[in-house]
Amino acid sequence: MKNKSSGNKIVNPAIVASIVSIFLIMIGFNVVFAAIVSKAFGQNVISGSLSNPYFQIVFNAMMGFLVGWRVNQTRNFRGVLASSAAGAISGAIVAGFCLLLGIIYVNGGDFRSYLTALSPINVNFCLYGLPPIMGFLVTLVTFIIFAFLGGLLKLIPFGRFFSKPAGAVKSFFNKPSIQKTWHNKVFRIFLLILGLSALIILPRLWGSYWNYVIGTVGIYVLMGLGLNLIVGLSGQLVLGFAAFIAVGAYTAALLNAPEPHNLMLGSWIAFIVGIGLAAFAGALIGLPIMKLRGDYLAIVTLGFGEIMRISLKSDLLTSFTGGPRGIQDIKGPVIFGAAFNSDIDFMYLIIMAVAIAIFVTIRLQDSRVGRAWISMREDETVASASGVNPMKYKMLALVLGAAFAGLAGTIFATRNQFTGPEDHTLMVSINALAIVIVGGMGSIPGIILGAFALKGLPELLREFESYRMLAFGALLVAMMIWRPQGFWPAKRPALSKRVKPEDSPPPLPLDPNKEVGHD
Amino acid sequence: MTDVLQIQNVTKQFGGLTAVDNVSIDIPEKSISSIIGPNGAGKTTLFNCISGYYSPEDGKILFQGQPIQGLATYEVAALGIARTYQNIRLFKQLTALENILVGAQPHLTTGWLSAVLHTRKFKSEEYDALVEATHLLDHVGLKGCGDTVAVNLPYGAQRRLEIARALANRPSLLLLDEPTAGMNPQETESMAKFIATLRDDFNLTIVLIEHDMSVVMGISEQISVLDHGVKIAEGLPEEIRANPRVIEAYLGAGTQHLVDKFKRKKNNAA
Amino acid sequence: MQNERSQGSKGFWKKVGGYIRPFIGIAVIAWAIWRMYIVFFVDAKFGPETWLRLAFSGLVIGGMYSLVAIGYSLVYGILGMINFAHGEVMMVGSFAGYFLIQALKQIPVPSAVMPEQTFLNAYPWLSVILAFAVGMTTAAATGYFLEKIAYRPLRNAPRLVPLISAIGASIFLQNAVQLLFSPQLRDYTNPDLLARGTGFALKVNDNSVMLTYTGVLAFLISISLMGLLYYVVQRTRLGRSMRAISQDKKTSALMGVNVDNVISKTFIISGLLAGAAGVMWGLQMGLINYFMGFLPGIKAFTAAVLGGIGSIPGAMVGGLVLGVIESIAPAAFGVDFQLKDVIAFLILILIFLYRPTGLLGTTIKEEKL
Repeated sequence: MKNKSSGNKIVNPAIVASIVSIFLIMIGFNVVFAAIVSKAFGQNVISGSLSNPYFQIVFNAMMGFLVGWRVNQTRNFRGVLASSAAGAISGAIVAGFCLLLGIIYVNGGDFRSYLTALSPINVNFCLYGLPPIMGFLVTLVTFIIFAFLGGLLKLIPFGRFFSKPAGAVKSFFNKPSIQKTWHNKVFRIFLLILGLSALIILPRLWGSYWNYVIGTVGIYVLMGLGLNLIVGLSGQLVLGFAAFIAVGAYTAALLNAPEPHNLMLGSWIAFIVGIGLAAFAGALIGLPIMKLRGDYLAIVTLGFGEIMRISLKSDLLTSFTGGPRGIQDIKGPVIFGAAFNSDIDFMYLIIMAVAIAIFVTIRLQDSRVGRAWISMREDETVASASGVNPMKYKMLALVLGAAFAGLAGTIFATRNQFTGPEDHTLMVSINALAIVIVGGMGSIPGIILGAFALKGLPELLREFESYRMLAFGALLVAMMIWRPQGFWPAKRPALSKRVKPEDSPPPLPLDPNKEVGHD
Repeated sequence: MTDVLQIQNVTKQFGGLTAVDNVSIDIPEKSISSIIGPNGAGKTTLFNCISGYYSPEDGKILFQGQPIQGLATYEVAALGIARTYQNIRLFKQLTALENILVGAQPHLTTGWLSAVLHTRKFKSEEYDALVEATHLLDHVGLKGCGDTVAVNLPYGAQRRLEIARALANRPSLLLLDEPTAGMNPQETESMAKFIATLRDDFNLTIVLIEHDMSVVMGISEQISVLDHGVKIAEGLPEEIRANPRVIEAYLGAGTQHLVDKFKRKKNNAA
Repeated sequence: MQNERSQGSKGFWKKVGGYIRPFIGIAVIAWAIWRMYIVFFVDAKFGPETWLRLAFSGLVIGGMYSLVAIGYSLVYGILGMINFAHGEVMMVGSFAGYFLIQALKQIPVPSAVMPEQTFLNAYPWLSVILAFAVGMTTAAATGYFLEKIAYRPLRNAPRLVPLISAIGASIFLQNAVQLLFSPQLRDYTNPDLLARGTGFALKVNDNSVMLTYTGVLAFLISISLMGLLYYVVQRTRLGRSMRAISQDKKTSALMGVNVDNVISKTFIISGLLAGAAGVMWGLQMGLINYFMGFLPGIKAFTAAVLGGIGSIPGAMVGGLVLGVIESIAPAAFGVDFQLKDVIAFLILILIFLYRPTGLLGTTIKEEKL
């Protein structure tokens, strides 16, 4: 019974899939993807050359599978047929595209001056090194087969496989004995000591590279926590956060580098002054933006951020700020006479800073300040009518958030021993914002997760470096559509458990005639 | 009896539209008063002027003798005026108890530093506020729902939570904007009874905006009627019920004779 | 009779805040006057031909800003959101025009005089028209899909969500173009008739000021498109629907306006305008790359706010004003041309401080309590 709407359910996903596939081919993603897959199979690919063309089949198989999976909504055999049909359609389109390219290129055409990823080698790769017609057929068949498999797989009720073990795990953790241990004070202290020792020992174990990477993640967590106070908790959409970080970084730099001022005051003083100045900058920016809402606030603060960067870069202020070249040779911190000489020391510093930031955030979140902020974020008008002074709390969020940023900036500059205008671009602000929003507004675990994803993952997936920003943009859009509350949404505390029984209201009298309201 | 709230010649305009036109109402202390009128009469606008959201172009609003027109909303809240809203406006992502605690803001004195350091004053203040919030939660009949996130509560519960949040202010004046909107007759009746008890339990003055006449006539001691921004009548429920101008405002001009006809028929049948 | 403000608890911040705005305003004006004095009377190195040249280029670029600004105003008026990715829509149009011209360059049309002539020079006006057509259509399609994919699902979400989505879409578009066509700067090939740097020579005081052909063309097209748009918004059914939706979406829907349809068309129209601006930019400035939409996008937004966000005439005026100020200010205040971009941001901040409704005023959407 194929009517128009069911036709759409097959044709539309197929068309979308083929557009996505063709787009990925046009940006050369299929080549990189194949290189990674071949790496998994043990065949390492020298960067710049291509892997075995048959790994292109994996790419097509994956796209076909996804189409098939998506199309079989009804989870019955007819759905599997629909999946296969969708596979055929998208396969035909993608294969047709490669065929067309193949024919053109065989006859001497070359689109490289337009689409840089379509070199003759790459086009040949899309056709597996076979003559165009053969390549067309292989692609089409691959799509159909894997779309069929994708649809077929949907027939298996995976939910049932997981529900039993999941239930068992849940009931295990709910057992009274387990619950009692979890809340036992001694156990908690034991966990704390375990965690602390891990934090102390691990940096010594995992080598300089990981210290650097995790250290960068830590700095981003710090930035995320700062922006979290501003955006996540109090709901002020500030897009120029990089400006506060820059204040911290440049303070540390200017107070501690031979040029341009040769002050050499020492890192610890630089940290304190950096945090203070950044907080002051927060207050300064807060004053004019008090009355702005939402989108306007975003653009104006973006303007502030850009003004800061352009000013730092300008020749006009070079004598003060070091100009476009930035400030080099920032001296590191000296503690008890010994200078910081490795990433391990900086790692400890970052861990401590992050710990302090988390501590302050937790304390604030679960207090009248945190509640005032969230109420402003949810509904500023009503929050104000309930007694929350919006200006005071907005200022507080800005000042504290900027202070976190200042700390992050000083550490960043000191660790790199360098800072310059290009370290404080709009992308830094957007990164921080993404960490907060995609991680989960107001959620500390979410922010940590977000920082790892944003800064840690790319380290692991080095091959995809050129596609990182593309994926980032797509991720932002996708997250907003499917999970705007973030990967790890914030959970509000269960306050009722804190009220001691003697202070609770007396239990309900069992009077069925009593309705709303009683004493 | 002194008047806790005095609205004197208040006028509020939006561009060319005069939403509230030279309205004067006196609210006696500890009374339950209602402001009624057809839609668009300016009732919520008047509330908004009282709570400080709007600044009237002309006129004065005196609360306990002090002028409050033009104050910011949080200043008005600090003086002891609390309100609820026509479309429920809770803080959706906060739990029920937290919503109530936000209402208690005017009484909390500790700052952010005390919060970070968990000073003794902070802890005791927060705990006392929490206990009070729990009692309020219980009073409005939501015991046990304290940790539910507000957006997950059913409609009736949300309305009551809003009232609890307003009560956390320890107000002297409570403004309720259509508290029974969207309720069936049983719920309406129990809400009306509840509002009546609030006045004595919490030592309040209550001003209602309402459309449901059973509530208005049932619990009000004074009714003011607005139509197109103008106050057209004021007095006891019996007086308002029989007032021809009021009837016209609701049913349309020239309908008075229909009402008289209906009354005659009723009397003849009796 | 004005209402007397009652004695509330005036905090410290209120007092300070009250003084800051006038202080900043006076400081800015004083600085401006001082700088202009130096430039005009002390240094006095710029003659009227300089100002004329700067004003002309300011108008030309202002026209482009206006076209993009109208797009911002249209979308803001109808959806209440800032289309952060609008600069990228302009960029896409610019690239589309570029590729068309490249294609036309490949078609040989030999003539007796010029055996190597290509289509581009044989039919220069047709080529330009085609470039604009392709650029505008591609940009319009981009705008359409942008709305469909990134904004429509988020119609009822809180403010933050569509803004993040817009930022994500902007980043995606920039990088997609970069990956597809490489980060290298591309150079627009103008038909010889309209080569960059050629134009009408105006004689002013023994000096000659060049009004470039591309500049004049761009300006004329800008004005025509603006006029056309004004007609559409004021006189056609579509325009009426757009204005209705911008005032009250729900009621418009109840009155039978197909809201989704009209919103799509709005994005298409703003895309058309941005695409035209993109092609103009290419013809006039020459160099384009994937990042070219960012600054003009922000400046066009500033222009829209300057004129009054949501107001079409405001966007038109704002764009022209911003273009001229941006062009003249560095010379008039004797500051580095590097700081040209800062001017737009500064104007933005100043507007929000002193006249958030913009030059021509606008109704900032009030929430209903």
